[in-house]
Parts: sequence; C-alpha cells; structure tokens
Amino acid sequence: MKQRRLLRFHGLKRPRVRQTWNKYNLFNLSRLRTPFLQSKTFFQQKWMSKSLTRGYHGEHIKEYQWERMFSRRSLAAINMDPAYMAQHDGSEQAAGRGSGRKMADGSDIPGPRNRGNLNQATPYMQMIFAPMERRLDIAIFRALFASSARQARQFVLHGAVTVNGKKMTYPGYLLNPGDMFQVDIERVMTATGQPKRPNRNQKAPKNTETSEGEEGEVAEGEATETAEGAAEGAAEGAAEGAAETVDADAAKSKHFKTLRELKTRAQNVMSMKDQVMRAKEKKALRKLLVQIKETMNRSRKADDPSVAEMNQAERELTDLLSEMSLSYTQQAAKAKKATIEWKKQQEQQGPDVAKMLRSGSAAAKVGLLTAQQRTVLLWMMRREAENPRDDSKPYATPWKPRDWMSPFAFIPRYLEVNQNICAAVYLRHPVARPGLSEVPTPFAPVLSQLAFNWYLRRG
Amino acid sequence: MPPRIRGSSCQPQLLLNYLEPVPSSSISPASALTPLHRPTASPSPKCSRAFSTTPAPQITKLRRAFKEWCADKGLMYRNAPYDQTNYMGFSRTRPFPENEHFKSEPVLSVRARNMIWEAIMVKGMPLKAVSAEFHVDMRRVAAVVRMMEIEKKWEREDKPLAHAYARAITAMLPRADLLEGENKFEPINDIHVHSYTTQQLFVPASESRQFTRADAAKAFGEHILPPDAKMRIPELVQMERNLVEGMEPREARGRFIKEAAESEQAFAERQRERALAAEERKTRVNTGRFEFRFEKINAENVGPTGRARKAAGWRYGAPHMDRRRGEVKIPTSVG
Repeated sequence: MKQRRLLRFHGLKRPRVRQTWNKYNLFNLSRLRTPFLQSKTFFQQKWMSKSLTRGYHGEHIKEYQWERMFSRRSLAAINMDPAYMAQHDGSEQAAGRGSGRKMADGSDIPGPRNRGNLNQATPYMQMIFAPMERRLDIAIFRALFASSARQARQFVLHGAVTVNGKKMTYPGYLLNPGDMFQVDIERVMTATGQPKRPNRNQKAPKNTETSEGEEGEVAEGEATETAEGAAEGAAEGAAEGAAETVDADAAKSKHFKTLRELKTRAQNVMSMKDQVMRAKEKKALRKLLVQIKETMNRSRKADDPSVAEMNQAERELTDLLSEMSLSYTQQAAKAKKATIEWKKQQEQQGPDVAKMLRSGSAAAKVGLLTAQQRTVLLWMMRREAENPRDDSKPYATPWKPRDWMSPFAFIPRYLEVNQNICAAVYLRHPVARPGLSEVPTPFAPVLSQLAFNWYLRRG
Repeated sequence: MPPRIRGSSCQPQLLLNYLEPVPSSSISPASALTPLHRPTASPSPKCSRAFSTTPAPQITKLRRAFKEWCADKGLMYRNAPYDQTNYMGFSRTRPFPENEHFKSEPVLSVRARNMIWEAIMVKGMPLKAVSAEFHVDMRRVAAVVRMMEIEKKWEREDKPLAHAYARAITAMLPRADLLEGENKFEPINDIHVHSYTTQQLFVPASESRQFTRADAAKAFGEHILPPDAKMRIPELVQMERNLVEGMEPREARGRFIKEAAESEQAFAERQRERALAAEERKTRVNTGRFEFRFEKINAENVGPTGRARKAAGWRYGAPHMDRRRGEVKIPTSVG
C-alpha cells in the first residue's frame, strides 16, 4: 500500500496527538484538552472527535480499511470471585422483590460479594479502536519495540519481524491470541536508543588526533562519564581499602573511619541497579574521588613501609581497568571469565556480601584486592561488557534510551513482553472492565463516544 | 498582474532594485544575484536575501511556546528518572491525563518471571496452580515460560541479548515482584461478557423461586452459559467450596493442585488423541525424495453455497476469489 504523505505530522498549529515518542508530540499531548463542543452541531462534534481520534489511532491506515475493521460490539470482561461463587448461586440477588433483600434501614445485607471489580461503569466507549490494537504494527509499537507505529510498520515491511518464528511482512496482520512476535534486536536498539550524534567539532578545523579524542568524549556523554567515575571511584576506593588493611598499625585508628566509609560507598556503587545515574549520585562519587586522593596523599606523607605494596595494588587496578577498555570481542571473553569467577565467589561468600564486609575485616585477599573489591570490579566489568562502546553500531553506544521516551513508556495488559529477546506474546484481545479500558487512547470519554457515534453511521 | 508586495515589509530602497533597469554588461550569474543598489547604510536584518521582499521566517508564537516548554516544564520528561514512571501530569499510573480509564498497570519484574519459570519448569507445578498462587493469568504464565525458554536457549547459543534495553525499559515501567503483601497482579477469574447479557430483561418470577445464575443465563438465551461454566479455573471454586464445608486449608489446597494437574493431564491427553486420530486418517508414502500424504476427503462437503472455505479442490462455477482486484491476501493465522 502506498503511504499517504502527511505534511505537518507533528504540527503545532493544528495539533494532532500521534502514536510516536516525538517531543513535539509530547508537547501536543500536554496541550491536549477536550474542545468546547457545546456551540457546535452534532455533526460537527462527531466530525471533530473522529478526526482527532483517528489522528492518533492508525493514522497510517486508510479510512475505508478502518471502517471495515470497526465493530460496535466491544469486548468486556468481569472478574468472578471463586469464594463468592462457592457460597452463593446468585439467587440472593433476585431475592425479595427481585433485586435482593435489604436491611431495615435500606442498606445491603452484609455477606460475601463478588469482589475484584471496581464499582464503576464499564467504559465501552473507550474501546472503539480495540480492533486496531490487533494489528501487528501497532502491537509492536505498544510493546515498546519501535518509537512510532509507522516505524513499526517499516520494521515489518523490511522483514525484521517474525510471528511464531515465521517471517511476517504484512503490517496489517491481525494477531491471534497466543501469537508471539519477535523484532530484530538491533532494530529495536536503534529505534529506542539515542541516535549517533554528528561530531560537534566538525565545524572547527580538523586536528586529527585531538579532535578524535574530543569526539569520543562528546559522544560518550554524561552517563558514561558517571559510569567511569563510578568505576574509578570504586577501584580507587578498593585500592585504598587494600592498602589500609595492610598498613594497619600506623594509622589504624585514624583511617579506620574513612576506610569504613569508603567501603560502604563502594558497596553502594555495587548495589546500584542501573547505569543511569542522577546528579546527586554523580556528585557523591566525585566527592568520594576527592576524598580518596586526600587519604592517599596523607598515607604517602606518613612515609609508610607499605607504599610499595600500595603501588602494586594500584598497578593491579589499572590493569583491571585497562582490560575494561579492550575491544568488544576480547571484552566479551573476559567478561565471561569474570562472570564465572564472580559466581564462584558468590558461592564461596554466600549470598550476603555485606556480612562478609562486617565480619572479615576485608582480609580475604586475592592478590592485594579483597574478594569484596574484586566482586565490585568484576560486576562493573560485566555491566560494561553487556553494553559496550561499539562504533560500528547505528546508534550511540553505550546504549541509552532516547530522550523524551519515558512519558510514553507503558505496556498494556493484553501483551506480555520479554525485552531481553525483544519478543512479545499477544495474550488476548483488549477488554474493558468496570472502570478500566485496556485500549491506550489519550482522549477523554466524551470524544471517544462522539467518534463511536460517527462510525455507527446513523446520520 | 505585477508581483504583489507585502505592505509592511516592503522597503522602498529594496524596491528600487526591481524598478531600475539592469545594465546589460552586469548580467552574469554572479552579478545577477547581487543587487546594484544595495542599501549600504543599514541593511534590514529581516532580509537575508536582498532580492526578496518576503521577510525572513520568524519564530512563531507557538514555536516559541514549544521551545520554552522544552526548556522549562517539559524538561522533566526528557530523561527518565531512575526506577520510576514519568508520565505526563504528575501521575504515577496514568499516561494520558485526559483519559482516566486507561492505567499503566505493572508488568512482571525479572524476579517475578524467574519465579514463575521455576515453579513451572523446575518444580513442575500445573499452570492453573501457578496462576492461582501468583494471581497471574494462565495465558500470561504460559507466555512467560515460553519466552524464558527462548531466552535461555539464546544464552546457551551465545546469541546477544538486549540486556541494556531491557534494564532501561523495565526501570521506566511500574513493576510487580509478586511478593507476599503486594496487590494482586491481575484478575485471573475473568469471564467474557456476552453481548446478549448486556441487555436489560424483565423476567417475571415468583418470590419463592430460587432464581440462580443458571436461570438468569437461560433467560438471556438458550445457548448462554452461566458464569460457573465459563470459569477458567473451576477447581478454584471447588477449593473454596471445600473450605466452606470445613476442610483444612492445607488439605483443600493440596486437593486443588491435584485436581488442576489432573485436568491439565486430561487436556493434554485429549490433544494427543486428536493429533493421533488426524495422523491415522493420513497415509504417508515416502518415495525418498518426497513424502506424499494422502487423506480421504468428501468432495460433497462444500457448504450451502458450494464455496465453503474448507472445501477441497476446484469446483465448476465457483471461481477462486483470490485473484480478484482488492482481495486481501494477508494470512489470518501463523502456525
């Protein structure tokens, strides 16, 4: 099917909310209000609602195709509580004069009721576009595998999507309950990741080597910087910890406090779940770095006998860190080894690393690093290998989600998604429940109702 | 008609360029572009091209509003905050502020998925029991296990997985860990609302009559099933019945698991028998190069119009519609 070319897809003057993660779309969504309808004729109201809602729901689908799909019977479901079913056969609702017995004061007779449903009306009108959600391209967009429905459509047409393991090139394929669709991982990463930024230094005269270095720094952006900061912080913290445990008697009481603090911070770094870091954490890490430097200087000035050992620890750490910046394949191999080692250590240590920290005075040393410190480092290496820097990719690496995405991130209940393999199962058709509708639509019920009336075609 | 000039933006000095005749010697590609009488004193900043009287496009009010919004109110939507949702309008659950009926409901966390997979594949619990234990729909349980199996297979094959993507996306979504004390994940005893039952009926019945769910279903239509027959896990109702009758909760639960396992085995057995029967109808002839499969069909089974979809073969007078213009040839199911 030839695609209609849309001018002003994300226009500001005549705004339409679209199925995309675009920032203009987000702005339009933030301005979306139900228009003032009272002054308009019924036809005008219906027309306006229809054009607004169709601008969002499958605007890439021709109107006659949608009219064929439209069904005025929406699906609904209701939860039946087994405890209620077991205790009642329903006759209590028809008791008395036909609508159930009441107490003397008019209130309901206490007893089990059918629980699990909201005490609201079922929003059938929000379900007009439920048949649309069955389409493969829209389901891909809903599963957060593409940044817009049109992009999802392109994925299908370009052969990047399989349904139940077979290549499917029809974006209009209507999924059946139980169908599993899979999208090529690289496509998903490209669609949802940050784009490769063009080199900002290109305007300036080219100095081959320096500009390259700068480019790297620019491309890496904040998150990488912080991740590196974290790695460094942890590593140096580890070095400091090791050196200090060796040099116990000289400045034991003096450095004990700092050491403990460093350790807990390193622990914090380790327990951090994601590479995304906030400003506060960044700040804390920077502070940590400064502190570590200070303590190191202090111990050097104190003319320790253990300076040589400390240097060795540093060397070891730099080795470890340099391993992190190896090429991808080498890195992957290293990371595998590291994972195995890490698992072994986990088994040895038991699940609770913090316990070991508290009890063992961090003396279980492998080389000069304690097991704890190694764990931190290995964990960092593993994380790094999972999301490495790779210039051959069409997206910015290390992969980060694109900007302006999070307000659009939701997965409706009729899909079950496994992001690791970029696959999703269409469990069932979307349904309405009391008070809830599963069709993601940004419009108020009144607009949906008017649009529904338009498609009923009753003049 | 002479070219129209917009009133306010018109500058008489610029207009001179067009009114004055250009000397023939100066007509060359380079000099044609540069006007002769360029206002030297103060060229208008609006005019980037001197030969054009159209003012340079300015930023519109809306666009300025958009820019301001991006830098101010909208800035919080640019980057995802760590480990929480970031929907429009300060709501934790509603992505669309105008639509109060759509909620972004939690998805299963990695831990929850692992728990489900372990219960099915390691402990060998029946699907119905896992569904009832975690309050996760049976179809979802099956889907989770199906996709986890693929994930594990890929891990064994060293195929790259989208870990970074998965981590980032799940951090943006509300999640459920399926732990004790959490809200129930989703309703598992859903029944479909039949369209016949959405109408209002007035059925006269005597006051002494026990008008049950089954009677109500019959009143809506002969073929309408009562909710009891539509339950996805009828064994749960039986368990509750046992509990009401005073059975120990532990024993009731054990019996429920046993019944669930039996019903699933019976279902699997039925499926197997059906497949076996289908296989028996076929005759396979292997020639080494091809395997021919013969099946007996009844050529008279063509439906009332003679064009039933499952009818075999080409029939005189019933043309194939698949070559007709505009006929949709998208597959309806993928095996």
